[in-house]
Order: sequence, then C-alpha cells, then structure tokens
Amino acid sequence: MINSPNINQDIKLSRKIVLAVTLSLLVLVCLHVSMTEARLYIDINSPGLKRLPIAVVDFAGIAEGTEMADIIRSDLDFTGLFVFINKNAFIESPTAPFSPDNWRPLGIDAVVKGTAELEPDGALSVVASVFDVVESSNILKKKYSSRKDSIRPLAHKIADDIYEALTGQKSYFSSKIVFIGQDGDRKSIYLMDYDGQRLKKIVSKGDITMKPHWSTDGKKLYYSSLRNRRWGIYELDFDTVSEEKLFSSGATDLVGDVTPDGNYLLFSSSSKGNPNIYRFHLGSKEATRLTHSDYIEVSPSVSPDGKSMVYVADKSTVPQLYIMSMDGTDSRRLTFEGHYNSTPEWSRAGDMIVFSGRVGGQFQIYTIKPNGTDFKQLTDTGNNEEPSFSPDGRLITFTSDRDGVKGVYVMTSTGEGQKRISPRNIRAFGPSWSH
Amino acid sequence: MKHIFLLLMLLVLVVTGCATTDVAVPDDKKGKDISKRDKDGRDDVVKIDRDKIRDGALTEEQIRAQMASLFKDIHFSYNRYDVPEEEKASMRKIADWLLKNTGVSVLIEGHCDERGTNEYNLALGDQRAQSVRNYLVSLGVPAHRLETISFGKEKPACNEHAEECWLKNRRAHFVSSK
Repeated sequence: MINSPNINQDIKLSRKIVLAVTLSLLVLVCLHVSMTEARLYIDINSPGLKRLPIAVVDFAGIAEGTEMADIIRSDLDFTGLFVFINKNAFIESPTAPFSPDNWRPLGIDAVVKGTAELEPDGALSVVASVFDVVESSNILKKKYSSRKDSIRPLAHKIADDIYEALTGQKSYFSSKIVFIGQDGDRKSIYLMDYDGQRLKKIVSKGDITMKPHWSTDGKKLYYSSLRNRRWGIYELDFDTVSEEKLFSSGATDLVGDVTPDGNYLLFSSSSKGNPNIYRFHLGSKEATRLTHSDYIEVSPSVSPDGKSMVYVADKSTVPQLYIMSMDGTDSRRLTFEGHYNSTPEWSRAGDMIVFSGRVGGQFQIYTIKPNGTDFKQLTDTGNNEEPSFSPDGRLITFTSDRDGVKGVYVMTSTGEGQKRISPRNIRAFGPSWSH
Repeated sequence: MKHIFLLLMLLVLVVTGCATTDVAVPDDKKGKDISKRDKDGRDDVVKIDRDKIRDGALTEEQIRAQMASLFKDIHFSYNRYDVPEEEKASMRKIADWLLKNTGVSVLIEGHCDERGTNEYNLALGDQRAQSVRNYLVSLGVPAHRLETISFGKEKPACNEHAEECWLKNRRAHFVSSK
C-alpha cells in the first residue's frame, strides 16, 4: 500500500473516487472516511486539554529523512499539544511496517513514519503516514514531492497535514514572519520561517521602514517607508519580486491592515491635518477617507468578518483602543484600563484582540475580547510591544527588549512558552505573522 | 556632491558681491535646496531663495548664523503635541524673523522620545511638527514656506534612557536628516 503509485491523494480525493463505485462499497467506505474525519485526537479547544503522546520516527531512505523527522518533531513540539519520548526507546525500526504492539508498551498513541527518496530527476519524493496505535489504523498517508533543497518547507508541509489530521485544525508550520531589522543605521525588512529559520533580508530601501503587513494570500507585503524625506506606502510582490509605491500624500501615511477579502488596505494619513483612517482600494488605487476627527487615529486592524476594525485614537488625550464599522461609523471605546494602549491586532481566527499598553513605565502585551471582557496581561519582563497573531490565533509574535537588545519573540495566546526567535546580532522589531 | 557644488557657487556669489546677476547655475536649480552637511551627516535643508537674498540686506552666511541662534528646538510634554506656553516666546521670535526674511522656507521635523510604539510615535511626531507650523501660520508666516515631516522616535537627539534625554527628544526641529 505504501508503495502504491496512487496514494498521492488525501482523504477528500479518495472519497471522490469512492463515490463512483457501488452503493454498498460507498456506504462502507464513507462510513470509514467520516469516522476518520470525525475523530479528534486532540481537541485543542477543550479546556482540560490532555497532551497526545506521539512518536515521530526518522524517515527511512536517504539521510535527509532524519532531518525531516527532526523538523516535524520540532513543529509539533512548538504547539505544546504533544508529548514525545526519546527515540532511542523506539522498538520498531524506521523500515519495519507499523505494528501497534511495538508502541502500546511505550504509551504512544500516534506514530508518524515516512520514507524519503531521490527521484532520477533529482527531486525529493516523500511518503508520510500517521498511525493510530489504539485503533490500529492508518489515519493519514500522503505522497509529497519537492526540490531537494526544499527540505524545510516540505517537512513543514508534512507537519501541517499531520497536525490537521490529529486536531481537525489548520496549523501555522508553513507560515512566515517578517520584521524590521537594524544593523548600523539602516532598517531593513527581514523574512523568516515561523521558527526563525531561513532568515533573509528582503527590502533595504528607504531611510526608515515601518512594520510590514501581509496580504491575505501571503503573496504581498504592505509597509510605510521614508524615501527622500517623504513618507509613502509601498507594496512588495513576492511573485514578481518587485516593489510599487501605492500612495504618498506628502504627510505621514502609515499602513494599517488588509481586509480579509484582500480588496482594501486600511491606513492612517495626516494629509488633511490630523492622522485619520483611510480605506484604499487595491484594484482602483482609490483612497476614501473614513474618519474626520481632530485627534490622532492610527493602526487600524480588521475583524475576521471584515465588518469592523480596531484602531488607536488619542481622543481621551492618551492613546486607547476603539472599534468602529468598516465605513468609519459607530466608533466605541474598547480599552479603559492602562495608559497608552496601541498597536492592536484583531485575530483572524477569532474573538480576540492583542495590543501593547503601558503599565508602571513599561510596555506589556495584553489581550481583550472585542466586547471589552477578558482583559489579560501576557508579559511582565522588559518592554514588550507590537504583537501579531499566528494564522490560527494560538500564538503571538512580539518585540521585547528583555535581553537588552530588541528582538522578535513568540509565545502562546495565553502568554506561555515565551522565547526569542530572531538572531541576537540584529536589533529586531515590528514582527508581523502571515495570515 | 550637487549640494556642495551649489553651496560653493553660492559662496562665490556672496564673496564676489550679491549684485551679480549672471550665475552659472542652470535655471532649474534656482530656489532649490542649498544644503550644508554638518558633522552628523545631516543636511541643513533651510530653503533660501537666492533672488530674495540678493535684494535683501543679509548675506547667506548672516542668515545661517541668525537662524542657528534663533531656531532652537521646540520641546513638548510627554505624549503631547500642543505648543507649550513656555515655547511660545521663542516661536514668536522665529515667526518675526521669518516674516522679515521672506526668502527663507523651513522644514519642521517632529520627533518623539523612545517610549511607545513606532507607529503611534510617527503620528505624534507628525502632530508636533504640524502644531509648530500651525502656530507660525497663526502668527502670519505663509504656510507654503513651512514644510513638515515626522521621524517619530526613529532619530533621537539623545540616546540615554532617562527623562533628561527624553525631554530633548520630544521636539520639533528645524534641521532635517537626509
């Protein structure tokens, strides 16, 4: 079965094929498929979450199989949802067929196995499987193919599928983080995998470049940059590797967020005196002014349904968070606690807003629900600012100076597992997680 | 290099007497920035219209000297952008001087201290620069001679993490980095 050329199909595909066969078979197989899909090995939304004991066996075949298993293990470990045992304790060898009897004594509930091979054309070919020890079943088997130098993205992709098979949720293992890095006087945009690997500098133009924001499809970045003493809003297209100036009023133009449908860019511009919120249509390149206040309004971030935005205003003399409709009406104040609340981001995955606020002279990360409840402080060491959610809303990346020099950190959305992911030789800030 | 060349041309002009009308500067360079780099590599972007200088009593050097003593930073309270009362006297002097020297235009930079997020501070710096401009306009200085730019907290004048330094950084400044 593992070696069959037809296993390059996920469960949905195989279900389609099955639809064409006889009724009795259809019923049987669909029952099997729906059971497979319905079973959640980890219900990540359950309050009394029990971590799943999992074994990721080094992939058989070429030497890179070990590295791939390491990356998958590291991805799954990052979530805090799994427990691992030392692979030296494994009874079953990577090449042997799966047998539940080899795993039950170790207390393992799920096993990941795989084979990595080089095709004659030099491409890397991988078959990965996930087994349920308790049910003695094969939960997932899938064939992958990629360039040999793309081991990391391929391993992340496999980990994505494993995570989805076990939790029923999308993961963030293939997501990216961009941030502003400073070496010397120059500020550049850097891009890295969510785990801090494969770091590269992608934009070095401009005297000052501000925190970038992702397009919904992850193919573009939007950022404000100061060029020749003039602020402008720029778009970087990853497909064409080109940059375009979208808007420059001559005043201070600051990118906020892209709407979930990908049609509009929200930003703040002081072209009419006070920094007010604007909506920019990315197709027609037309800017529409949404607010007309005589105070500062910056940092708009859109709700997942695209109907509202959270933003910062100093209406009450100190910056606080406000929520209003996408047309600029029905503004209401969200935060009443804390001085100087700013840089909000509305989770694309749900009912949560993260921001930074000042308490006792230092800045910390907080979360709050859009209805104003569940106000929580997540950090307490050093200054922590500019938070941004992972695509599934379970993690938050942010800037911290707790180690002296500013760096990009990651933690869970409840503040656990805080760790630095940007290298120490770059002063790093303004992280933004792809959607 | 272009700016240095222009400056040299202008100094020659000043030294040889301001009444000379035929200057070997292309027409499209007239009225452009006359820049002088200071030791920080910053450009003095005070705009000086050469035609007006010629007609006036002051040389360019005299103008620069007067501006250096008069155009001091305007300082602000934490998270505020209204021009403080104690800064208004020196701003009135600046306005009077600008009203007399009609050939001079200035760029007003808005700056913040290091506290707070980059984004909000850019808006705050923008409003500081605009407050200074608006106050000068209210005193009769034509708005077209007053440009503004915000650097937020990106270009501090002082790098210590203390109030003494923060006060220096919360400023509107009449010299811009390039």
